[in-house]
Amino acid sequence: MKIKIDGIEVDVISGETILEAARRAGIHIPTLCYHEAFGGQGICRMCIVEVKEGNRTRLVASCTYPVNGEIEVKTSTPEIERIRRNIVMLLYRRAPNSEFMKKLYEEYGRPGDITPSDPEESCIMCRLCVRACEKVGANAISAVLRGTEKRVSTPYDEPSPDCIGCCACAQVCPTGTIRVSTMPGKYEIWNKAFEMDRCESCSRPFVPQVILEHVRSKLGPDFTEEHLCPDCRKKKTGKIIADSHLSK
Amino acid sequence: MAGDAQQAAALQEMERIIVRYPAERRYILAIMQDLQKKFNYLPKEGLQMTARHVNAPMSTVYSMATFYKAFSLVPKGRVNFKVCDGTACHIKGSQVLINEIYQCLGIKPGETTPDGEFSLETVNCLGACAIAPVLVANQKVYAKVTPAAVREIIKEHGGQINEPAVNE
Ligand code: SF4
Ligand code: SF4
Ligand code: FES
Ligand code: FES
Repeated sequence: MKIKIDGIEVDVISGETILEAARRAGIHIPTLCYHEAFGGQGICRMCIVEVKEGNRTRLVASCTYPVNGEIEVKTSTPEIERIRRNIVMLLYRRAPNSEFMKKLYEEYGRPGDITPSDPEESCIMCRLCVRACEKVGANAISAVLRGTEKRVSTPYDEPSPDCIGCCACAQVCPTGTIRVSTMPGKYEIWNKAFEMDRCESCSRPFVPQVILEHVRSKLGPDFTEEHLCPDCRKKKTGKIIADSHLSK
Repeated sequence: MAGDAQQAAALQEMERIIVRYPAERRYILAIMQDLQKKFNYLPKEGLQMTARHVNAPMSTVYSMATFYKAFSLVPKGRVNFKVCDGTACHIKGSQVLINEIYQCLGIKPGETTPDGEFSLETVNCLGACAIAPVLVANQKVYAKVTPAAVREIIKEHGGQINEPAVNE
C-alpha cells in the first residue's frame, strides 16, 4: 500500500503507524513520548499530523494512528506548528529544568512569555520511564496523582519491592529527571539502595547484587562463571589466549 | 491506636471485599470503590491485596487510586469537613473557608490532622447554591458560612483552635 507524506510516496505495511512509515522514509516528525522500543503512547501530541482521507481532513497523533487505507499526510502546517508551539510552551511552564526542554523551547522560538511554575521541575511526563520499567518486567513505577500534581513515582514514594535497580528508567529519561546516586559500593535509585558485589580478583564493586541474582535465576545451574569485573575478565581471557598460543 | 485484633479484623474485611470479585484487572476500580465505602479511605494493605488478587503490579493499582478524586489514601478524620467548591460557593468565598480551616487546623483539602480528628475535602456543587457557601461536617449542613462561623463549627465538634498570632 502507498500513502503520501508531505507529497512523497511512501510504502506502508498495513497497520503500521504514520510515524513508523514516515521514519522509514526519512521524514522527520517531532515526538516526545515515542520510543522505538515501546511504540506510540499518544500522550504528548507533539507528533500530530494532518490526515486527508477522501475530502475529509483531521489532526491525529501519528505515533498511534495506524494506516489502513489511502491517505495523504502533512507533517507540518501553520496549525500543526501552532499546536506544537503550544505543547512546548505548556511543558516548559511545567518543567523547564532540563537541557532537553531548554533546547526545545529555544527551537520553537520561546513561545509565550512564561514564568515556569516550578523552576526546579524537569519531568515532562512523557512516561518513557514507566514504559521502560514495564518492559523490564518490574513495573515498579507509574504515573501518580492527577492534573498539575501528576508525576512519576513508586507507590507511596517508598522504595519499591518490585524495583530491581536496573536503571533503565533513568537511561531512557530524556530530561535526566531520574537520579541515580552512586556511593562507594552501592547506588540509590527511587529511594532504594542497591549493594554492589565485588570482583573476586581485584575486589572492586562492579555489579549490583540484585542483577547478579536475576541473571543467576535465569541461567540456573549453568551459571558457573567466575565472579570477575570486566577488566579482570579481559585480563584473564587475554592470558588464556596468550598461554594457548605460547604453548603451541 | 488500632489494636492488633482490630487490625486483623480490618484485614479480614478487606479480604472479604476483594475475593468477591473475579481475579481480573478490570475489577480493580470496583474493588477500590467498595474498599473506600467500607473504610472511608483506601488502606495500603487493601491496595496491596487487590494487586495480588488481580495479579496487577502495585504501581498500577496505586496509579489508579491516586487518579480518581473519589478515593482517599489517608483515613478521614472523626469529623470530615466537606467544603462545597461549586461555582456559586466558589464565588461566595469557599476558598476563604478552606483557608480558615487551614489556619485553624493546618489541613488542606485531602488531608487529615495528625491526631485523626479532622479531615477536609472539597466537593462539587451540593445543589444548595441558594445558601452558598456551604460546609458539611459529617452529615450536618451549614449554610452561608463565614470564617467566624468556621471557627464556631470547629469548636462545636470538639476542635482546639490555634488562636491567630497577634501580629496578624
Ligand atoms: S531501576 Fe527500578 S524503577 Fe527503574 S526501570 Fe529498573 S526496576 Fe524500574
Ligand atoms: S521522569 Fe523522565 S522519562 Fe519519566 S516521565 Fe518524567 S521526563 Fe519522562
Ligand atoms: S509522540 Fe505521539 S503522542 Fe507523543
Ligand atoms: S455551588 Fe455549592 S451548593 Fe451549589
